[in-house]
Amino acid sequence: MIAGEFEFFAPPTLPDALRLLQEHGSACKVLAGGMTLLPVMTLGLAQPRAIVSLNHLQGLAGVEDVGPALRIGAMMRHATLGKHPLVLQHAPLLAAAARGIGDVQVRHRGTLGGSLAHAEPAADYLCATATLGARFLLQKQGGERWLDAAGFFIDVMTTALEPDELLTTVEIPKQAAGAGYSHQSLRRVEGAFPIVLASAQIAPGYAPARVGLGGIGPRPVVLEVDDVVKGGLTPAALEAVGARAFDAAQQALSDLNGSGDYRRAMARVYACRALEAAAAHLQAGGGR
Amino acid sequence: MAYTGKDVPAQHSPALVAGAGLYTGDVKLDRMTHAHVVRSPFAAARILSIDASAALELPGVVAVVTGDDLRAQGYAMPVEGFGEGVKPKPFDLFPLAVDRVRFAGEGVAAVIAEDPYTAKQAALLVDVEYEDTDPVVDAERALAPDSPLVEPDWGSNVLFEARMTSGNAAQIIASAAHTVGGELHHHRYTGAAMEPRAYVADYDPYRRTLSFWASTQCPHPMRTLLGQTLHLPENDIRVIQPNVGGAFGLKIPYFQEEALIAALSVVCGRPVRWIAERREDLLSGGHAREGHFRWQAAFEPDGHVTALQVRYVADVGAPSALAGWGQCYVTGFALPTCYKIRDTDVEVIAVTTNKCAWNAYRGFGKESSSWLMDRVMDAVARETGLDRTAVRLRNFIQPEEFPYPQNGGAIIDSGNYPKALKRVLEMIDYANFPALQAAARAEGRYVGLGLGQELTPEGCSIAGTARFNGWDGATVRIGPSGEVTVLTGVTSPGTGNETALAQIAADRLGIELKYVKVIQGDTSICPYGLGNFSSRGVIMGGSAVHIAAGELREKLFKVAGNMLEVSPGDLECEDGRIMLKGAPFRYVDTKDVVTKIYSDCHGAAACGVEPGLEATRYFRHDNVYHQPETQGRYSAYPSWANQATALIAEIDPDTGVIKILRYCAVHDSGKIINPMTAEGNVHGGTAQGIGGALFEQLVYDDYGQLTTTTFMDYTLPTAMEIPHIELEHQETLSPFSPLGAKGVGESGITSPLGALCGAVEDALREFDVRIDRLPLSPERVWRAIQAQGDRA
Repeated sequence: MIAGEFEFFAPPTLPDALRLLQEHGSACKVLAGGMTLLPVMTLGLAQPRAIVSLNHLQGLAGVEDVGPALRIGAMMRHATLGKHPLVLQHAPLLAAAARGIGDVQVRHRGTLGGSLAHAEPAADYLCATATLGARFLLQKQGGERWLDAAGFFIDVMTTALEPDELLTTVEIPKQAAGAGYSHQSLRRVEGAFPIVLASAQIAPGYAPARVGLGGIGPRPVVLEVDDVVKGGLTPAALEAVGARAFDAAQQALSDLNGSGDYRRAMARVYACRALEAAAAHLQAGGGR
Repeated sequence: MAYTGKDVPAQHSPALVAGAGLYTGDVKLDRMTHAHVVRSPFAAARILSIDASAALELPGVVAVVTGDDLRAQGYAMPVEGFGEGVKPKPFDLFPLAVDRVRFAGEGVAAVIAEDPYTAKQAALLVDVEYEDTDPVVDAERALAPDSPLVEPDWGSNVLFEARMTSGNAAQIIASAAHTVGGELHHHRYTGAAMEPRAYVADYDPYRRTLSFWASTQCPHPMRTLLGQTLHLPENDIRVIQPNVGGAFGLKIPYFQEEALIAALSVVCGRPVRWIAERREDLLSGGHAREGHFRWQAAFEPDGHVTALQVRYVADVGAPSALAGWGQCYVTGFALPTCYKIRDTDVEVIAVTTNKCAWNAYRGFGKESSSWLMDRVMDAVARETGLDRTAVRLRNFIQPEEFPYPQNGGAIIDSGNYPKALKRVLEMIDYANFPALQAAARAEGRYVGLGLGQELTPEGCSIAGTARFNGWDGATVRIGPSGEVTVLTGVTSPGTGNETALAQIAADRLGIELKYVKVIQGDTSICPYGLGNFSSRGVIMGGSAVHIAAGELREKLFKVAGNMLEVSPGDLECEDGRIMLKGAPFRYVDTKDVVTKIYSDCHGAAACGVEPGLEATRYFRHDNVYHQPETQGRYSAYPSWANQATALIAEIDPDTGVIKILRYCAVHDSGKIINPMTAEGNVHGGTAQGIGGALFEQLVYDDYGQLTTTTFMDYTLPTAMEIPHIELEHQETLSPFSPLGAKGVGESGITSPLGALCGAVEDALREFDVRIDRLPLSPERVWRAIQAQGDRA
């Protein structure tokens, strides 16, 4: 139950939403699926004076094929994204990540943009979008900018979004035909936040080959591993990737589900597992 | 017997599954107000002042009430002991904290408002000035002479201690050729019912009556306790238990909030509703299980355990009016569980700390006794090189030795432990497990088998308490149209015991089940009874129904005998007929007999019996011993359900993740009235046991702050983590109850603890891992592997 009063806006168009953000600035919160905002408000950890709901906006929940990439609306729900034909065809790793988020209820309410803007380090989408080389469109009244993952994710639950900006679109480069991929996570139970997660994508010919890691630090980490795996995924190559993952997780966070040491060790394990699975997928013909 | 022993879907299920259950939260009354509790942010602090002026200025706020206000009214909480000599040291307790707070989350004030949102908002405006003091957060450190004190008047932090000795364990262990010992740490967790605590109180200031709807297990004891707090005659209080969305022991009275919500209604003369938020329930809804064992055992090379010494320090949290702290006493009392160990020496120390108080949680301490014994048996097997099952079989109480006087004072009613264990070993194909394990290992997989032997004393009957006793009542009524109404003092938290009671009545009266209706949970119409705890629904309630229905059966037979011109002793009944034994064509319809009694009471057939068809009878369990001076023993537990469990688990050595591959159990709670609902109970208990062993954990930091106050941090298993449970029943009847039933409500929760520890150690034998602490989180298992790897 949420105590305290707030103004509630449900703008019908994107310009209306951007105008409201401009007017209310940091006093307002954007409501997408509400899977984080509502619990946080219930616990009294956020007491915004105004809520701008995007749930009545048209046109922010679609997928557009722009040639080399897909542009996905920020209000796309996980359940829809996870089975969307274009996403399955061109960014199956993202669809796999979507299908593993939370539980059935969460997947039908939570949104791509909401999860990314919240930037919980162990969220499936952070790791997956960073691995896929996504770009993020931030719009405000009278302006917009595109950022890549390195520019967008700043710190734990902190992004480059200014109070008057809205994340409206996520651009995902299309996967090369026949690429292998894998998205894996270590969770205490079904539906829980991952302790660590790893996404891997390997193009035919083992280049580019990438492993992304989540949950190990304030921001997702992407390892370009073409140089290591170009001769195929040998035990030595795997060990080298594992060592890189271990190094990358030096500042792994500690919480009740896992200490920093444990997460660091799991970064190694999961980087290798994701890469192995992606390589096996590649060998089997890849694709969706 | 037409219905007993058959699968009958629970009568409440259609409504509950359809979402048509009526819970306390569904009660809506005219002029109803809403309460919100202002809770202490500190684990230990003095309350210097409470300023409610800002809250009172908020439109819609009706009143703000503090602990001082309630103390001034004399609204104190009665604190009960746990039987003769098992009592906490004395302390004062009120529905809200007075002068000082004793755990983070204790209520210090309550706001009543016209709507729940205003109440919550106003609660944030109540300005409480605290002076925080050093909290007591660790039970071992709390025993040090220089520790701060939770209750300054006590002189120590010991709430209660007991020593239960039998023979000379210390001497035997000191001189034994073979001994083994260890430590074992059980962490804090709880039941996490789907429905949090919820109460609606409606005090009528003109009639001076109180109606109290509560998500509780024990309506009548609640009425008694509320009467004591509010100084109201009990017959002016009506406690109603609507549907309950899970209880697990944690809804046994007496919470401060229960007294509080009733008191608020009396104070403001309007109905008051309070539904706990999840965070409030995790902070103050009762915890369980935190304790540390040190144990030592002497054994012979053949695996015979000759002596056992145990010191158990339990962290029971803040002093309260809840019965939870009694769990550590029961842990000691139930030792050495299924085993014959002549010499035992058990020391139990209940330590109070600045944490949420324990409340009863499924298992009620017995789960810890059985877990400890599983660890002892596994350790003796390791030391002797004997098979783990051989050590258990060597030490079991034998089937012909029942009723067996166990060391704690109990008479264990019945059992056949070797048979159950041998059967579960067949189910899991124990003989072939080594081959399976070796084959898995050859594939680089780590697979292990673990054993859990649980003994679950039930029917808790404590001398001198309002809440826990070994009796209950039932009224059975046959109406003029032949329909049967059963009113009982036992209640159901959603587990289906109402269906079992209906089956018992239907069989006793030979009437179709669809004509039997069971009414529970309303003190104004049900006979006084103690509600639901310690698996007593069938043991006590079912026996009372059996006896009351038996009285009506005699009356029906007498009249039927007149109608058929045969002796009542030659009759039997089934399917709505009363018939001559061996000559079923000579019968009368039961309904016609009922009509005779109601409509023709001066006629020849019925003039010899008293009019009316209603019987209220009470059952008292006789395997309870409250007169030690003449009986030579004290025992609160008459009925000893048990289960043998074997599971196979696979450990991922890289991550420490445990996956249960197979779960087999043979369960024995005597006569099973309804296998379907009984299995539902065992499945639920098993899930909670696995939850406790692997996932669930309430964690306090050094300042006494609970860090697990949402389900994001308090990890509960889902259906995905619970394996398929292969369950068989063994029915070894209790000779002490008319139906032979032993209680099934707590079954299943215990075995996963020992079985999972054993399976992990077995799977990781090459790492020589020792498990002495739960939960078996992936990191804990991974660290155990790492530690052994580093040593090698």
